[in-house]
Amino acid sequence: MSLRSYVVARVLLTIPMILLLLTMVFLIIRVMPGDPADLHFEKRVDPETLAAFKQRLGLDKPLPIQYVDYVAGLLTGNLGSSMQDYSPIGQQIFSAFPATLELAIYSAAFAIIVGVLLGVRASRSYNSIPDHTIRIFGIVSYAIPVFFLGEVLIMIFGIYLGWFPTGLRFSPRMDAPQGLQLGGWRLATGLYTVDSLLEGNLTKFLESVRYLFLPVLALGTVLCGIFIRMTRSNMLETLRLDFVTSARARGLKERAVVYAYALRNAFLPILTMMGLQFAALLAGAVLTETTFSWPGLGRYLVARITFRDYTAIQGTVVFYGVIVALVSLIVDVLYAYLDPRIRF
Amino acid sequence: MKNRSAVSNTIASALVVVMIIAGVGGYYLGSQGVAPAATTVTQVAATTLFQTVTITTQMPTVTTVTTKTAVTTVPTVTITTTTGPKLKDTLVMGTTDSVEVNLDPAEAYDFFGWEIIMNTGAGLVDIAPGTPYNAGIKDITPALATDWTASADGKTYTFNLRQGAKFYNGREFTADDVKYSFDRNMGLAIEEGPQVGIGYSDIIDSVEVTGKYQVVFHLKIPFSPFLNLMAAQASYIVNKDIATTAGPVNYVEGDARKSNPNDLGPYVLSSWSRVAGKDNEMRLDANPNYWAKAAGLPMTPHVIIKFYADATALGLAVRSGDVDIAFRQLLASDIESMKTDPKVKVWQGTGAFIQYMLFQEKIPPFDNPKVRQAISAALDRKEMVDTVFLGQAEPLYSIIPKGMMGNTDKFKELDKDTAKAVSLLKEAGYSETNKLKVEMWYESSGHYPQSPDQAAVYKAQLERTGLIEVTLKGADWPSYRQNRNAEIMPVYVYGWYPDYVDPDDYAFLYWAAWIHHNYENPEAVALYDQARAISDPTQRSQLYAQIDDIAVRDCPVAPLYQGSAFAVTSPQVDGLVLDISQNFRIWLLFAKL
Repeated sequence: MSLRSYVVARVLLTIPMILLLLTMVFLIIRVMPGDPADLHFEKRVDPETLAAFKQRLGLDKPLPIQYVDYVAGLLTGNLGSSMQDYSPIGQQIFSAFPATLELAIYSAAFAIIVGVLLGVRASRSYNSIPDHTIRIFGIVSYAIPVFFLGEVLIMIFGIYLGWFPTGLRFSPRMDAPQGLQLGGWRLATGLYTVDSLLEGNLTKFLESVRYLFLPVLALGTVLCGIFIRMTRSNMLETLRLDFVTSARARGLKERAVVYAYALRNAFLPILTMMGLQFAALLAGAVLTETTFSWPGLGRYLVARITFRDYTAIQGTVVFYGVIVALVSLIVDVLYAYLDPRIRF
Repeated sequence: MKNRSAVSNTIASALVVVMIIAGVGGYYLGSQGVAPAATTVTQVAATTLFQTVTITTQMPTVTTVTTKTAVTTVPTVTITTTTGPKLKDTLVMGTTDSVEVNLDPAEAYDFFGWEIIMNTGAGLVDIAPGTPYNAGIKDITPALATDWTASADGKTYTFNLRQGAKFYNGREFTADDVKYSFDRNMGLAIEEGPQVGIGYSDIIDSVEVTGKYQVVFHLKIPFSPFLNLMAAQASYIVNKDIATTAGPVNYVEGDARKSNPNDLGPYVLSSWSRVAGKDNEMRLDANPNYWAKAAGLPMTPHVIIKFYADATALGLAVRSGDVDIAFRQLLASDIESMKTDPKVKVWQGTGAFIQYMLFQEKIPPFDNPKVRQAISAALDRKEMVDTVFLGQAEPLYSIIPKGMMGNTDKFKELDKDTAKAVSLLKEAGYSETNKLKVEMWYESSGHYPQSPDQAAVYKAQLERTGLIEVTLKGADWPSYRQNRNAEIMPVYVYGWYPDYVDPDDYAFLYWAAWIHHNYENPEAVALYDQARAISDPTQRSQLYAQIDDIAVRDCPVAPLYQGSAFAVTSPQVDGLVLDISQNFRIWLLFAKL
């Protein structure tokens, strides 16, 4: 199978996967007690009004009809409207997603870089003090809940030292980065670090980094534990292999042996782990966003669940599903690049 | 292969270096005073306050609280400054609230929506800042109406309007705007809106324009809290250029002007951003056309509002100086520890939020008044307030809260009296071997403050009688609401905050059908209707006391506690008023530099 037909097959496989996910979410939220129509009314409501409202949302229809209606909407690219404020779900998701994406990118980068470097370092000094220290750090950081670590970091760096803000995404006293302005045309990614640079405003860039720092440190630290352990054990195995010994025998520098030879060979399982961890990253982002008042998709999802906003919950989960599928596809394609022996 | 690896290695190292540099840079920038603490980047020249203007306001019922003692009342404060202290021209407020639907008085029915309507709009009348006790007619102050008269039968109210008041776009405010606002808001009859919820059309018959600056309200019934209702945000005047009769004014991305039909107030909402259906940032700027501008209001020309995920995050933000003012919601434990923190100032005021315990009369034995009375008598409200809320709330012995006409102590008869509870239970046929089994429900997702902790205390108190066995059951807010409607919770706790500041908006809770506890009492309803129709406060208070007597006898509801209102600010902030009206008047806030 060529790479192209593999990608096509994978994309096609994604469809039943998303559909299955959607069906499960659709049923689970309807089994949960709570009624979006009733919750829509802040205080008093009479039964007739409630019935009329249910009819408007289509909640009076039988479940299978509701399901078909929703899926039909999805196929035409319509994620529906919120059951609480009627705004289009697609628009809401896209207004919140850049914040989550920015947090996810930097946290993943932090976790992978720190995790792999520490893992390699530990494997090079097997069973010595640095190895033990790194291993303990790896176990502790993996075990620690992200919201707890987040609060601790806020207490130390936000309150006690006052170096970093305790929450939010950008300083209330500055305008948010606008991206590149060219006449009436605007190029903006929604990622504040990128937009501030596009705008050419270094102060805003440093400010957005200052706000990113603690959430990224918290989420990145929690995620890096698994990479430390994975890298370390794979490296230990790889470093024992013959090709490493022969590379050393040929007089290559130790750095080159470790990073260029051994790490590349040990990297495949780590890459798999990256793909798998992406879902964990998004889940962790939900908690991190709440701890740091980060206005992202995770916070949105939590808020919508408390309103039993069916369409919003379904839309967000489908969106998450697509993202996770996309990332695992990218990881699979990267395999071929890293290991030429792999054919699809 | 070697090359490629070296490249990725370099990129990796570069990324780490960038993060470190950026982090250090950020710290450096922070220490230079860009963001937190008292320094501001956008600081424009500080304003001089009150050039020879004398302001007389009823000042805070509030003072900085450092001990648990009662709140001091400062009745009148006169600020007279000719030179004036230098004030900050921008304040940053933090909150966990968010506008739920929109800012249209025809639809908004949530605390924060009303807070913004109040600060950007105006009604015919207002409630005087610092109204603590016996809120009544005397506490109503002029706003868009300068004076008013009521007919002898209480069914006609004539308002003389302020002349020369202008909307933000320069159009003059006249009697037509009053008629338009009421006709539109009531005419839209939005199901989830306050006019339908409160029942405006049961009260107001018509609004008649009798002159450019005079308007007459014809009522269907004599309604004594009418002026209080006129002070509620649902009665605020809308700008017809924005609020059309086609439908409610909703949030418009990137256009705060079109998102807010209120612009007769101290501030203009000059920017409003929402991310995924929740507020992200708001900016309020002084309204250049505000009719009370000559009095030096608003005190602070620019206010930025930021939105935090939860009470913990908000507490941390105010402590670190990220925000100047934190209002709603803060944790009791945070407030307690901030009272001794010199970096912040804690403000406490009268709250209008109450919670009460309900008994499902469809489920025996809770149809037996003796059982209900016994449970109420076994409760120790003071103990609960002290343990759960660390004294930051007040025990409630009537459905009408303290600070309001009609409040009584009648339920003290059914409080902290284990002996009475025991004898009532024995009369109802219970004993040590045949205990009363109570399934008590509480809301577990944070909709009400610290509900699980409250429930644990109630359980312990009831079981202290030796004759009751309590099973606690929690449900998140959506499930709780569903259970309430399904009438399957034998004993449950519910909360209420008022639409308008009057006992009329509380007393009906004893029998309100929508709470589904299935209690009916025509005698109490008759007294309630009678109280509604007369304006004499003494007579009304007596009628509400009679309703309380019936409530103690039948005990359909056991009032539990009244929450206090709290705000935490930086020490420089002043002018904050937390009173029974629940109005958070941003226009009175200021901070010395």
